[in-house]
Amino acid sequence: MKKENQERLKNIIEKYPKMESAVMPIMQLFQDENQNYLGVSEMKEVANAMNMSMSKIFGIATYYTMFNTKPIGKYHLQVDTCVPGFLHGADEIVEYLRKKLNIEVGETTQDGMFTLSTVQDLASCATGPVIQVNDKYYENMTIEKTDQLIKDLLEGKEPENDPSMTVVSECGILLNDRTQKECRTLEFYKKNGGYQALKKALAMKPEDIVNEVKESQIKGRGGAAFPAGVKWSFLPKNDPRPVYLICNADEGEPGTFKDRQIMEFNPHLVIEGIAISSFAVGAQKAFIYIRGEFSWIAEILETAVEEAKKDNQLEHVEITVHRGFGSYVCGDETAQIESLEGRRGNPRAKPPFPASFGLYGCPTVVNNVETLASVPYIIKNGAEAFKNIGGPNDFGPKIYGVSGHVNNPGVFEYPMGTKLKTILETAGGVKRKLKAVIVGGLSVPILTAEEAEDLSLDFASCQKAGTALGSGGIIVINDTVPIPELTLRTIEFYAHESCGQCMPCREGTQVIVKKLKGLIEGKGKKDDIDLILRLCGNIKGLTICPTGEAFTVPIQAMITKFRPEFEALVR
Amino acid sequence: MTEAHPVASYFLKRALKKGAKLIVVDPRNQPLATRADLFAQIKVGSDIAFLNGLMNVLITEDLYDKKFVEENCEDFEALKSKVLEYSPEKAAEISGVPIELIKEIAHTLASIKPAMACYTLGITEHTCGKNNVMSVANLQMLLGNMGLESAGVNPLRGQNNVQGACDMAALPNVYPGYQAVTSKESKEKFAKAWGNPNLSEKVGLTIPDMMAGLVTKKVRGFYIFGENLANSEPNIAHVEKELASAEFLVCNEIFPTETTRFAHVVFPSTAWGEDDGTFTNSERRVNRVRKIKEAPGMAKPDWWIFKEIAKRMGYDWESNSAQEIWDNEVSVLAPAYGGIKYSRIEKDGLQWPCPTVDHPGTKFLHKEGKFSRGKGLFKAIDWTPPAEVADNEYPLMLSTGRRLFHYHTRTQTSRVGLDQILSEETADISFADAEHLGIENGEYVMVSSRRGSVKVKARVTEQIPPGLVWMAFHFREGNANWLTNNVFDPETKTAEYKACAVKIEKVK
Amino acid sequence: MTKTVFIDGKKIEYEGNKTLLEIARENNIYIPSLCYHPKLGPASMCRVCVVEVEGMRGLQPSCATIPAEGAKVLTNTERVIEARKTVVNLLLSNGNHNCLSCEVNGDCELQDAAYHLGIEIPAFLIEQPEERDESGVFILRDPGKCIKCGRCIEGCNRLVVNEVLDFGYRGGEIKVICDNDIPMGESTCVQCGECVQLCPVGALIDKKAIGKARTWETHTVRTTCPYCGVGCQLELHMKEDQIVRVTGVEDAQPNQGHLCVKGRYGYDFIYSGDRLTTPLIKENGVFREASWNEALDLVAGKFKQIIQESGPDTLAGVSCARSSNEDSYNMQKLFRGVFGTNNIDHCART
Repeated sequence: MKKENQERLKNIIEKYPKMESAVMPIMQLFQDENQNYLGVSEMKEVANAMNMSMSKIFGIATYYTMFNTKPIGKYHLQVDTCVPGFLHGADEIVEYLRKKLNIEVGETTQDGMFTLSTVQDLASCATGPVIQVNDKYYENMTIEKTDQLIKDLLEGKEPENDPSMTVVSECGILLNDRTQKECRTLEFYKKNGGYQALKKALAMKPEDIVNEVKESQIKGRGGAAFPAGVKWSFLPKNDPRPVYLICNADEGEPGTFKDRQIMEFNPHLVIEGIAISSFAVGAQKAFIYIRGEFSWIAEILETAVEEAKKDNQLEHVEITVHRGFGSYVCGDETAQIESLEGRRGNPRAKPPFPASFGLYGCPTVVNNVETLASVPYIIKNGAEAFKNIGGPNDFGPKIYGVSGHVNNPGVFEYPMGTKLKTILETAGGVKRKLKAVIVGGLSVPILTAEEAEDLSLDFASCQKAGTALGSGGIIVINDTVPIPELTLRTIEFYAHESCGQCMPCREGTQVIVKKLKGLIEGKGKKDDIDLILRLCGNIKGLTICPTGEAFTVPIQAMITKFRPEFEALVR
Repeated sequence: MTEAHPVASYFLKRALKKGAKLIVVDPRNQPLATRADLFAQIKVGSDIAFLNGLMNVLITEDLYDKKFVEENCEDFEALKSKVLEYSPEKAAEISGVPIELIKEIAHTLASIKPAMACYTLGITEHTCGKNNVMSVANLQMLLGNMGLESAGVNPLRGQNNVQGACDMAALPNVYPGYQAVTSKESKEKFAKAWGNPNLSEKVGLTIPDMMAGLVTKKVRGFYIFGENLANSEPNIAHVEKELASAEFLVCNEIFPTETTRFAHVVFPSTAWGEDDGTFTNSERRVNRVRKIKEAPGMAKPDWWIFKEIAKRMGYDWESNSAQEIWDNEVSVLAPAYGGIKYSRIEKDGLQWPCPTVDHPGTKFLHKEGKFSRGKGLFKAIDWTPPAEVADNEYPLMLSTGRRLFHYHTRTQTSRVGLDQILSEETADISFADAEHLGIENGEYVMVSSRRGSVKVKARVTEQIPPGLVWMAFHFREGNANWLTNNVFDPETKTAEYKACAVKIEKVK
Repeated sequence: MTKTVFIDGKKIEYEGNKTLLEIARENNIYIPSLCYHPKLGPASMCRVCVVEVEGMRGLQPSCATIPAEGAKVLTNTERVIEARKTVVNLLLSNGNHNCLSCEVNGDCELQDAAYHLGIEIPAFLIEQPEERDESGVFILRDPGKCIKCGRCIEGCNRLVVNEVLDFGYRGGEIKVICDNDIPMGESTCVQCGECVQLCPVGALIDKKAIGKARTWETHTVRTTCPYCGVGCQLELHMKEDQIVRVTGVEDAQPNQGHLCVKGRYGYDFIYSGDRLTTPLIKENGVFREASWNEALDLVAGKFKQIIQESGPDTLAGVSCARSSNEDSYNMQKLFRGVFGTNNIDHCART
């Protein structure tokens, strides 16, 4: 091993309380140094350095999508064809690239320049179609722009990304003014009142902070809607073990792209939220587990952490930014902990819950970015002020992301309980006729246009309407979209992302994909529709993690609500 | 351990996963060494110097278990003055283990209790084998690692029933249950039991002396039961000369072997699975073996063959099955097995000492520091080099051992498909020596000692340090015992399989 | 402390901390399971052992559920049966579960589950079977029969710590790999066979057993391994006088069910055609067959003669460290009690 690498290895290992957490960052180091390819000899070196078995390393490398165990072209073109990408026309981009490069998906051009892949959800839902080239995003792509991109790459140029979209913030709490060039800096943040909440919090008793957050009734913004303050209070009292806080930045639910808006443009808000929350729960070590595809955002966060540290804001907590390596399931808190411990991201059976047995077997709190970013406001202005935003069922600001068939897709920070209609109007209205809408990310039941008509966007109202607010990722579907196709895209996502641990999820997703494909190709039988429904019914609730529900619930809804479209496929 | 006692190594590796510390001392960088917290790659045959060096650190830095030594041991002063002659510097020079590592190992040992010492034949198969063993015992007594669970001195037995053969007194100096043949009391007891007042009080011969006696005719009738001495003893050429000079050689065997070639009469024996009986394992546990099939042809149980010879010499032994032998004789005559009866070991076996039928057996010995002789006796021991060391003519040291995929001289394992995994012997050598000698991995080489030469494939491996050659004795071709030195520990008569000088040449 | 649980209305008392599955098994209540093995503990992956527990949301995996005092548990409701059927059907659908010629037919946990759930034909589709891995000398891997329960992996990593097997890939592509997904025979696998012993189905097979016997034709005999000094307890699976295969005796001391390559696969030397079957007497340098009486008389006579001519100490014997205690005992008894010499030894120190 090269000497400088040994030094880098040491630095990586030192970032973590336990050595095994460093395995994936080290694998990435080796991959980066080997033309984006983690070969057998690289894996062997990692295995030796980490004192782990070869099969363990190989198991990790083939679990996470960001490791390439086969040689790969100089430019890895990854087109997001998941549901929002599909709605934004990703398939045309793939078609174009296939023809242009004269390769199939999964292949590399003969000159070794390009490898073409389709990938599942890059969290660029409003800015699709998106092509990720190695670790760089190219959003809002068109055929023309794709053509230019290939030209540029061939000439060794890396053009700038165009991430533009509509951003409206009615609340002005979570989203800041990103048109300001310095919006990410500590100076800018402090000028606008930043880190005052932390100062206030550090003078409070930790239990008072917990109570204030409980009082605010803020529910988790990651999708599960569990009251954050209550979650914190589950931590064992007077326990000698260290407490860890993990900021869940593994944004991966299709339709969801809100956390990145905060992290990328308002990173100090996230850091202040983590700093306050860590103090409240007694964590001296916090991690930001950010999805690996957001590499530039991870760098922004790292810079911000350094700035905050230099400004003596983080004397009570050490924050480490940890990149994920491509796995939807790692958004689940127990899978995230497994992943952070250097293993395949298989969710753990609960109990025990992370609060009592989490990271390294210690009490652990996992909170979503948006949740943590709301904490400074609660502490600075009090729970009452927070509860004055929105209502009557749920409170506080919420970022709604709108993708799909609207004229101006983007992010909209509005009070909890805002009408869907208002949000869609702000997004420039629906293109053509609204057919259906998914309001909480792909894993919630779809609503017909009629059902969505008068919907208020808060947890309780959505539940009443037979769906869930989830992460607030709103996918708008117009009358051009055949629902069976949408259903297939949906199940393909979960089949790709299933960790493979629980048999019902692993095998069930496979069978449903095959049955749906059969139906769409005209080879299906009428019974197949009921068989899929029955399977979904039986798999729901039968798995360790919520993925079992995440795919059965939306599939059931799509089929039952649009059944005639499926039946029409059967001759 | 992963090769010769694989299943025991599972438990060790599991303990490591749970956080146990492992110190490996071995000339080879063997699989467990890579898992060890500390690994001392010791020079072959330098064990005593190394162990004395450890004890030097423990005593000079006042890290040993003073309470245990005071209460349970004798002759500490003698040990102390001896090990003080072995400074870490001196120990390092002889053993090749760095001074700092010697100190670290001593400090680690002093900080953890209990710690168990395990060894196999790397300790015993030296001209100083007995002294090696006693040095390990010195160390463990000094650390107070005796009489505790998961402590002590633990020789791992190489064969399924070496322990049992010792317990049953297939040894020249004791009756079953380690009752001395020189003791009047024991003699009377066994004379009565066996109906022969004329038992010998003279300690008998050990294997090397018996073999030498074949040539001098001090031994005229030689009876070999199930051992393939022609492959397993050091210096095969010499051994075969000895066997060939036997006046009358009888063998009990299950297969024709290199040894039965020299026999005058061969009796066909039952094999494993063709008779009932017991084996005693390394942890002194008496386990049942069971009959599952009839023996082929006319083959008979060995106990039956001995009984029939006795009958023809005027002794009609009563016991007529393995169970009768055990229940009515062994467990009656040897107090340590008094409580072990077939009826009690239908499932899990019992660990002796087990004096009475309600005794649960004994998991570990010397409880609370009570040694069988009373107090633990320290011995002042000096390091002595192997009888033969590398020189200009034979510049490499050969050490030997066993490999996972075979067992001994392969009388059993050559017939079960294991040859598909390992089909021939290799001479394991270091990358440095291979490069120096211009030898490629897998190429045939000639390995020679003063006693013989073998043509064998070279296996170039990171496991071996420069200057060392490592071989096994599983195959007739390329058997290390063509090379090994037939010199013996003066007391135990164990041969120095682990060290002799050899040279390696390319085969043209 | 005695605790109580009600399973299907039946009051059961038990001691200690036990899972529902353990309690059910002890009371002969059949709950199918696939990924659970007593030696490995709960894995919660197969979801076949689910039950309904009053007051708990959703179905609970009984292998991982420690019941509250007085808990009411139902193992046979429609919901439970439907869930189990779903899983077993899915498993039967993805793979090549052909029982007809399968070695473990009759001793297969998947087959048992299917039988008890009344599944005759899988409800879904049959996959193309994956290729078998025949590269291991003693172990055959048949991925088409693998249900990815992970028992072999746990055993390889946690129990015998050989660390060869693991899961590779994910989701529907998940599979059990050796090292970096290379054939077993080329991998660092030492063929200890722990994985075979733990496999609930026919995905890992002892090659030597293939075609030897149906599982129901065999009976087992416990014995001690004839190799090293560890003294592992073996379960010999016998058809008449043939060993079909060997497993470690679970829960037995000292090996707790584990074996090595020699102990598990090195048994058939006893059936070798090379075995000595008659006494042999050498005449003019060549062996000839003899009767027991002739050979024994010859040996006894010769020994008697030597004793008479030169005393008992001119006889010497070497006993066998592989034979039984009883054999060694009789040999030294012969030397001491009959010949009158202590010239008896064995390879004690080597």
